[in-house]
Amino acid sequence: MKRGRGVRAFAWGAAALMISAAALPARGGVIPAAAEPSAQAGKVAPETREVTDELGRRVRVPLEAKRVVSLAPSLTETIYALGLEDKLAGDTSYCDTPAAAKSKPHVGTPEAPNLEAIVALHPDLVLMAPINSYEAMNAIARLGIPVYGTEPRTVREMLSSTERIAELMGAAEHGKEMVAKLQGDLDALEVRLENLPPAHVLFVVWEDPLITIGQNTFIADALRWAGAETVIESDEDYPRIGMEEVVRVQPDWIVLSQDHMKDEDTSAAELRTRPVWKDLRAVELGQVTTASDDMERPSPEMVTAIEELARKLHPEAFAGGAGGKTGSGKTSAAGTSEAQR
Amino acid sequence: MKPLTPQRIARICGLLAVILFAAMVVSLRMGTYPISVRDIVLTLFRGAIGHRDAVPSEFWLVVFGLRLPRIALGILVGASLAVAGAGFQALLRNPLADPYVLGVSSGAALGAILSLLAAPHVPGAIQLASFLGAAVTIAVVFFLGLRGGHLDSPTLLLAGIMAASFLSAVIMLLMAMLPGRDLHGVLFWLMGDLTTSPPTTRVPAWFAFLFTIFFLSAGAMYTTATDLNLILSGEQEARHLGVNVNRVKLVVYVAASVLTGLAVSVSGAIGFVGLLIPHAMRMMFGTDYRLLLPTSALGGAIAIVLADTIGRTVLAPTELPVGAITALAGAPVFIYLLRRRMR
Amino acid sequence: MSGELERGRTGLGATTAVAEPPRIKVEQASYAYAATDRTAPTFTLGPATFEAAAREIVAILGPNASGKSTLLKMMAGLIDPLSGRVELDGQEVSKLDPRTRAQRIALVAQESELLFPLRVWEYVLQGRYPYGKRLRFESDEDCLMAGNALAQVGADAVRDRWMDSLSGGEKQRVILARALAQHPSLLLLDEPTQHLDIGGKVELLRRLQKLARESKYTVIVVTHELNLAAEFSDRIVLLHKGKPLRAGTPAEVYQREVLEEVFEAPLDVELRVNGRPRVMLRGIR
Repeated sequence: MKRGRGVRAFAWGAAALMISAAALPARGGVIPAAAEPSAQAGKVAPETREVTDELGRRVRVPLEAKRVVSLAPSLTETIYALGLEDKLAGDTSYCDTPAAAKSKPHVGTPEAPNLEAIVALHPDLVLMAPINSYEAMNAIARLGIPVYGTEPRTVREMLSSTERIAELMGAAEHGKEMVAKLQGDLDALEVRLENLPPAHVLFVVWEDPLITIGQNTFIADALRWAGAETVIESDEDYPRIGMEEVVRVQPDWIVLSQDHMKDEDTSAAELRTRPVWKDLRAVELGQVTTASDDMERPSPEMVTAIEELARKLHPEAFAGGAGGKTGSGKTSAAGTSEAQR
Repeated sequence: MKPLTPQRIARICGLLAVILFAAMVVSLRMGTYPISVRDIVLTLFRGAIGHRDAVPSEFWLVVFGLRLPRIALGILVGASLAVAGAGFQALLRNPLADPYVLGVSSGAALGAILSLLAAPHVPGAIQLASFLGAAVTIAVVFFLGLRGGHLDSPTLLLAGIMAASFLSAVIMLLMAMLPGRDLHGVLFWLMGDLTTSPPTTRVPAWFAFLFTIFFLSAGAMYTTATDLNLILSGEQEARHLGVNVNRVKLVVYVAASVLTGLAVSVSGAIGFVGLLIPHAMRMMFGTDYRLLLPTSALGGAIAIVLADTIGRTVLAPTELPVGAITALAGAPVFIYLLRRRMR
Repeated sequence: MSGELERGRTGLGATTAVAEPPRIKVEQASYAYAATDRTAPTFTLGPATFEAAAREIVAILGPNASGKSTLLKMMAGLIDPLSGRVELDGQEVSKLDPRTRAQRIALVAQESELLFPLRVWEYVLQGRYPYGKRLRFESDEDCLMAGNALAQVGADAVRDRWMDSLSGGEKQRVILARALAQHPSLLLLDEPTQHLDIGGKVELLRRLQKLARESKYTVIVVTHELNLAAEFSDRIVLLHKGKPLRAGTPAEVYQREVLEEVFEAPLDVELRVNGRPRVMLRGIR
């Protein structure tokens, strides 16, 4: 039958093509060929100890992790802030701060990490954050690679996470120092804002549909440190609300999550042209600002972001000159609100 | 007059098996971990003869821990979906039927989401819950599809579509309540994803279990292959010829639903395979179900293995979900098939 | 006019049946079912009694909704008579298992509603299903029988064509061939001439007659074509509102008053030279 003959020829051709494709030399991947695995097979297993991670799991980790893979931008930032980037073997494709992180080998996205890429880096520790999935955590653990999960729910927990990460990576002293300093900054901030009533803030994660944050989130805690309070009461993490609710509570300030396409002035100006938004008291008064990305990432940089936000919301608390601000070279868009006051 | 013979079936399936083997070879070779074909073959060989210590641990990990299980899963899922699709097309007398039209995948997804809400970290919970969700949906749609005591194809189709819509609505409702971390996982899974690892470390036993279910269900469906050929020429006429139509419908319904539930509970809802592979096999090899069922199984396996390989390599190290690849490739194929039918 | 029926045999004409022992016997078989519309009364059929022998063609006639199809279904064993029995070669039809029944009785479909394309010979081969195991591959004997069936209906030329490329008449013949491939003793047809033009109708009935005479089938045809039935059948059973009114040769059954009452139309009956009656509309006054 003619039909059969053509099909058969096609099928054999396809099979031959595929087998020859398999014989081609390996394409150069993003992962540079690390040390030969056979060399490692002969090494003695590094000494390990057992710790409990922040999810309550018992993990067997090396005494000092030398090749760490970070699966979240916040963790990458933390490692850089600790100055331990030399021990960072790989991160995700979303890790873009600081800029140097982009040139580290990538292992996929936080939601869908590529297991083979992770294995290819021969890590001795993988760090995971709340944005990663349990599935991925279990899958990596099942491969025999130590996985340490972090779960910072508040700013303080983030600081102790940082300390623990430093300890895992053999820089316990340095970690303690840095955290102590940051904690000091936060305490100083708390003193400054002590007698001031918290600003009622609507934190906008997404404008359309309008998504904000719930009381139990990390960002809500960060806001509290900055002398603000989210006006929306919700137990959900990212509740979707209607504009009516916003009109009802009339927040003092609107804090927009940072949009990399527009700077702060444009965002604020845009809101003035939007129906309903433009009639909000906060918009009329020009009390609109953007929060930097760091507000949403549980990493040490967040402390700077908190301070900056506090300055915008409560300029009167800083009238006496520059406070104990940690220099990290981060710039943020200047608020127009100050000029308008 | 050349009736179908077992020899012809064996020949064609042998051909497809060769292609499947080639696809497996390609898939084994592709991945972000740099390992040469030579090392892969050595690892496989040493694994087969039990010399595990001669293999560097990472090679073992990549070949037996990552790539082979993924390929095996792809074969299982592809074969299950394609056979289920062929079965449903006959049962519902509708060439547009796919394994999800009766709501089985929505039920499985609902089960998965409920298990994520209730017991997020228990290994194996999501597979079990989604299979249970599928089973409950199967039973409910079955009873809705009864008319006068036996399955009536148009009624069944309507009942299934209703169930699918309702379940999808419930799922959307629940997804708004999931915390962010798990939501990502569910979305990925709903699109079809071969990366879910077995809920146990005894991987070969797990796969033996899954494949047993596959062979039992597909085998049960195969026993009705001749009956299906007749039923497709007319249900009443098939009855007159002595076919026990009600019994055949029941067997096909249960077998196809079990196969769909099996596939969805381990890999989410991979689309287009169950719809297109049977049609493609029909176009190449004819509509006789005695041949169509095994060729669909093999064709589906080939399709999924290739799609997954593409998804893993095109944008490495980012992995595209296999459901996205099948949809992207499937849509133009579907249009092509439609136009051929028009002519 | 109900109750006992007359039975008779033809003695006229060259195309009459040879006397053979009766093959199918319907004895006092009756059936009743409720219509789907609850307000309509229950429909009752029978009790009917008649016989048919090998090589005979029997036509079941009557206006619409007179119970013809129900009677045919009873004879096919698809429904069980509420009272009485239907026997084929001494065995009660309703008690046969489906496979055996399919080997003895073939119910010829009116149309084929194929979902996927199929070749003619594949379609005809499906008629061999009752022979052999359920999951089976066709044997040489199956191919032989199917080939014979195609030859018997004169459709050998279209053997390799696709079913949906056939004309109406060709398709009808192929459907008949599938029934013949079942190698039955009894051939049942429900209004087979419905979709055919006059040439097709004549050809089909001629073929059925030939099959009956030469291949010893018993053919039972449900129809409301009065003249064709008169021309080609050996005996006629006339149904009226579920009651078998008359049974006998065409000449015996076609009495003007009877026909007028049953069909509620002004009719004339004329006896032709070959002994068969012809029915015509009386002129409208």
